[in-house]
Order: sequence, then C-alpha cells, then structure tokens
Amino acid sequence: MEYILDVQDIHTFIGQYHILQGVNVRVPKGSITALLGRNGAGKTTTLKSILGLTTPRQGKVVFEGREIQGMRPFDIAALGIGFVPEHRAIFRDLSVEENLKIAERKKGDYARKQEFIFSLFPDLKRLIHLSGMNLSGGQQQMLAIARALVADNSLLLIDEPSEGLAPVLIEQLMKAIPQLSAESTVVLVEQNFLVASQLTEYYVIIEEGRSVKDGKMKDLIDDKATIHRYLGAA
Amino acid sequence: MTLFIRKNLMLLIILSVLTGLFVAAASGMESQDFVITLLRGLSVGSLTFLVASGFSLIFGLLDVLNLAHGTLFMIGAYIGWTVYVRPDTFVDLLTPLAIILSGFLLKDLWTVLSTRSLFAGRMKRILPWIGIVLAAAILFGVLRSYPIAIWDVGDYAQSPVSISYLASQGQSILPPPAAFDKLSPFLALVGLLAGGSLLAFSLALFGTGKLAATPRLNWRSFFGFAVLLLAGILFFIFNNALTDFLAGVNTNWLFLIAALVAVASGIGLGALMETTLIRPLYIRPIYQLMVTLGLSAIGIEMVRAIWGRPEFTMPRPELFAGTGEGCPATSLADWWQYHCSTMLLLDGRIRIFNEIVIPIIGVIVLVAVWVLLQRSRLGMIIRAGVQDREMVEALGINVRRVFTQVFALGVGLATLGGVLAAPSIGLSNLMGESFMINALIALAIGGLTSYPGAALGSVLVGLLQQFIIKYGQIGISIPFTDIIFKPSPPIVPASTVLLMVVILLVLPSGLLGKKE
Repeated sequence: MEYILDVQDIHTFIGQYHILQGVNVRVPKGSITALLGRNGAGKTTTLKSILGLTTPRQGKVVFEGREIQGMRPFDIAALGIGFVPEHRAIFRDLSVEENLKIAERKKGDYARKQEFIFSLFPDLKRLIHLSGMNLSGGQQQMLAIARALVADNSLLLIDEPSEGLAPVLIEQLMKAIPQLSAESTVVLVEQNFLVASQLTEYYVIIEEGRSVKDGKMKDLIDDKATIHRYLGAA
Repeated sequence: MTLFIRKNLMLLIILSVLTGLFVAAASGMESQDFVITLLRGLSVGSLTFLVASGFSLIFGLLDVLNLAHGTLFMIGAYIGWTVYVRPDTFVDLLTPLAIILSGFLLKDLWTVLSTRSLFAGRMKRILPWIGIVLAAAILFGVLRSYPIAIWDVGDYAQSPVSISYLASQGQSILPPPAAFDKLSPFLALVGLLAGGSLLAFSLALFGTGKLAATPRLNWRSFFGFAVLLLAGILFFIFNNALTDFLAGVNTNWLFLIAALVAVASGIGLGALMETTLIRPLYIRPIYQLMVTLGLSAIGIEMVRAIWGRPEFTMPRPELFAGTGEGCPATSLADWWQYHCSTMLLLDGRIRIFNEIVIPIIGVIVLVAVWVLLQRSRLGMIIRAGVQDREMVEALGINVRRVFTQVFALGVGLATLGGVLAAPSIGLSNLMGESFMINALIALAIGGLTSYPGAALGSVLVGLLQQFIIKYGQIGISIPFTDIIFKPSPPIVPASTVLLMVVILLVLPSGLLGKKE
C-alpha cells in the first residue's frame, strides 16, 4: 500500500514534559484515517508534530517520500499540508473572504477553489463579507475547513471538527468530509467515536503518548473490548 | 445601536469627558492662542504617532518591545541632517556601503556552499567565527584609510553645530573632497568586496535547521549582487559629480532626498537588526528586552561620538524658510509665492513646516499604513499574525520574512519621524528618549496593539502637553476666585502620565485596545 504520510516512532517534548513517547501513524493515500484516544492522549500533539509546530526530538516524519521532521512549519505546510486546528483559529479581524484568501499559496488559488468550497459549505457564500469574529461556532468550523481547501493540499489534518457543534451541524460536516477525500488524504482527530466510525476507513489509537493499535475501522467497530479499553464507552 | 452603546459605554464616557475638557480648554484662551496650541499639539502628536505606530506594529506581530525605537527615531534625524547639510560625507559613504552589502546579496551562493560537506561537523562550529573575525579585520583595515569627508566634532569651527548654523545662513561650503593617499583605490574596492562577502558567508554558515530546498543557482541569484556592485563602482567613479549635484540642488529637493535616505536607512537598519539580533532571541523574550535596551544605549553613544553632544537644528528647506517681503504670509497662496516660514491664521502666527506640514504628513502616513494593513496581502498577514501567529505559519506563510518586513517598516516610520523632527524641534542626543516615552504613554492610552489607538493616543498626548504648556504662559483663572493658576513646566510630562493612569483605571486595555 502506498502511504502518503508515515510517522515513525516520534517523541515530542513540550517544555520538560515528554508528551509523545513513540507514535507511529501510517496514512494510506486517498484514505480518511482517524486518530482516536482519550483526552490528553497526545492526538493534537501528533498533528502539531507532523506540521512542525512542535518539533519531534526523535523519530521520522515522512511525507510523500521525504523526511520533513525539523523543517520550519511554513515550509512543511507549503509542501501541501492543510491544517484545521482545534478551536478553529479563525482570524477574527479578517472577513470570511480574507480568511480564505490568506490561505492562497499561489495567486488565483481562491478563485479556482471558490466553487468547490461553496458547494461544500453554501452558508459561507452568504457570510463572505462578515468579519470572522461575528461567526457562530459551526460557521467558524466550516470556514476553518474551507481555509484548508484553498491551497492545493494533498493532506488535510483536521482536529476535533465536531467539538461543541449542534447535531445538525455535525451531520452537515459528516456529509462534507467524505467529499474532501476525493482530492486529498485526510487525518481526522475525533473524540466522538460514532462520528469517526462512520467517516473513516482506518484508525490509529493513541494512549498516553504511544500509538497502541491501528487497523481498519470496520474491524474496530466489532471489537467492543478494544473500544471499551481505550476509548471508554462507545 | 443600543448594544454598541452598552458595549462601549466606558469608552464613550471617557471620550465625552475629554471632549468637554477640550472645549473648556479652548474657550479659556484667545482664538490665536487656540489655533497655535491646537496645531502644535497635532504636530507633536504626529511625530509621536510615527514612533508609536511602528512600535505597536512590531509589538503586535512580533511580541518584541523594541526599546531602541526612540533611538532609531533620533538616528533618522541625524542621518537626514547629514545628507541635507553634508552631502559629500553621504556620497563618500555610498561606495563602501553598496559594495559590502552586495556580498550579502549572494546569499543563494553562500547557502549552497554552506551545505557542502567540507563545512560540516566541528568545522561548521568554528569556521563562522573565524570568518567573522577575519572579515571584521579586513573591513576595519580598509575603512580606516578609506577617504571619507567628515566634520570634526572636536573642532568647534568644523563641528556639526557650526556647519548647521552656517548652512542656515546660506553659507555652507563643503571642504575639498577627500582623496586616496594611504591606499590604492583598487585595493580598497577589492578589500570591501572580500570583507563583505566573507562576512555574509560566515553568517550563512550559522544557518541552522533543515532547508526546504537548497536554492538553485541561476542568473537571478547573481542579479542583485551585480546591480549593487555596479552601483558601488558607479558611485565611486562619479563621487565628485554626485557631490556637486547634491550640493547644488534646491534645498526642497535635497530635503526630500534626505528624508528618503533616512527612511531607507531605517528600513535597512530595521531589517538588519531583526535578522541578526532579534531573530535568535524569539524564544527568550527577556533577552530581547535587554538587547533592544542595550542597542538603545549604544545608539545614543554612537551618535554622541559621531555628531557630538551639543544640540543643533537642521536648516529648513527653502520653501519654508522665507522671512523677508510678504511674510508672515496671510494665506497659503501667499506662502507659495513668498515661501514664508510663518503664516497668520486667525491672528495666530504659526510656523508652516512645524505646524502644518508635519501634521499633514502624519495624516498621510496614518492613511497609507491603514490602507496597507487593510488592503494588501502583507497587511492581511499582519492582522492575522497579531492574533494567531502559529495558524499563519500553519497556512504555509513564511512568517519570519513578514516579521523582518514589519520590523523594517516600523523602524522606517520612526526614522521618518526623526527626519521631520530635525528642522522643527532640532537634533539632540536625547530627542529619542522623550518621544519614546510619549509614544509609550500614547500606546497605553490608545491600546497597545491597536493601530487607530496609536493615532488617537498620540494626538491626545500631543494636545494635552501643548495645552498645558500654553496655559503655563497665560494662566488659568480659577472660577469664583481671582487666583490665576499657571501650570509649571514639570506638570507637562506628569499630565500625560496622569491621563494614562486615569484611562487605564477605567479601561485597562486602553481606549481602543482589545479586551483580553
């Protein structure tokens, strides 16, 4: 199988704390892969370590066949990785349109992707001139995902998209995310197992800074013991 | 609407109190006094704004408190003075500067070379230092005997004070051009080129971290180098012609050139400072504070060593220097005809350069930077970066380059302020400090990282100071008594601090600052 991203035994420290103590994540090209695990297990830190926002002290991160650990975050992102952080990180002082335009890596990215973005999230078109600070949580989440779609990204890292959203909005997101994988590979961090199990093909479970189990999602769904052990009640 | 009022109640109350005070202060004086005081306040406010806006842009995006900002403001004034009064010195400096800097434009070549295995391992740690010492030795050796016409701080007749005075009387005479006597010109140029290149290469060897891509060498990598080297050689050949041209040019144009040079040097100094001294310290904010404070002290001492301690004033350009027939002007048309230095407005005699030109430039800069922030991609990145730097990086934007640009822009604004202050309030070693304090107070009042806040705060500080100075002369009659209270000069700085304290008590993040 061809892997677009291959994280090999990374160790990451934040300050003195040894947060990641050996995480392995392999992401097949074109798939949607879920990072599962309890709060504080190290899922977000794994995403940040891939992107170079925290630098792994040991181990390798191989993206499209090249080692990227230790590179500067903006160089890594420019290789074609889109990031949708936890809590969305929408730029409050920028309008919706500017929030999208700022993600351009080449001139005209936004103009080219506009149609696709608005077909996924029709609401954004209506809000285009609103300032980021006036958006609701759901609108912010959609904008954050849309922002990651503006440039040509072959990999999307999406952190907790359903967190704090109303069920209606979660449903809308669940319709949108599979469409993303038509163009890019997606790595999804998701607390809500129900959501994750419906969206993703592969999973990696992270527990106390280590990746402990991975495989196909359809095998995990029937494995009640594993779900109970690592993810609490399903 | 009601929501807006409820949200900003405190701000509205303060603004109406301030407006009330302003009206009261205005009604207490004659119209000519009022006009003068108002315009002077706006003038001081504009200069303060030029310091404060750059400082706040840098702090907002980079989280760096650049305590050297006031000193850079002062350096801008001295550089402007040099170009304006001693063009020969300025022209003599162009060749060495261009040739040394041209070495830095070969950075692609240096990056490629530095990845060679020859410079790996332990050698990589020692080599840069050897290179720097060697480069410094070469540059020092060459520059020591490089002919640069300069004034003499030790000799009163040759000091900046005298030169400035003579220039203001229209009697500036440049000394004969300095000539090569200790050093062959060819050797000097080669030495400068070698020193600059070695310095640039040594600094490139320090480069850490993994490169996204090793740059490919093509003609573009050498283009900037070739242009700058050629410029350096041309400056060398046409040195005397250029000096004569600048010495003969109309002072209005010369002032414009001086201002442009000062701003360009500010931009260059800012970029240099950020890339060499500030950048390694982003992980150690306290050290940054120490470095900028130290640089400020070094800057002041260097200015004292080069230009001397006594204060002097840069002569005003001819357009604002007339005193004879038809002066003071009674209208702008009059001024245009006679080039008066002063003008009568509502019976008040105002100085055109200080009280009209500076506020106008202040407004132009205010609008220009505002447009840059709101309309350009750079501005968009700055506004986004002020809020969330990490996310901007995660989008694949080279934030470091933007940091350098913003730092350079901020310092450029400060040096523009300096060059405007030179003919109006004059040059002194401590001019930077007083404006820096004004700017800090203005920012605390307006909101530390708010651009409109910087403008509002600066104007408030300027107006408050000037009104109190004016009332110190004419006195305030206390109602229902016959006491006339004259605020003494020490109250001037105290008053702005008092205003700051009051505003911060009710609005801890300043008038227009973001509530945390």
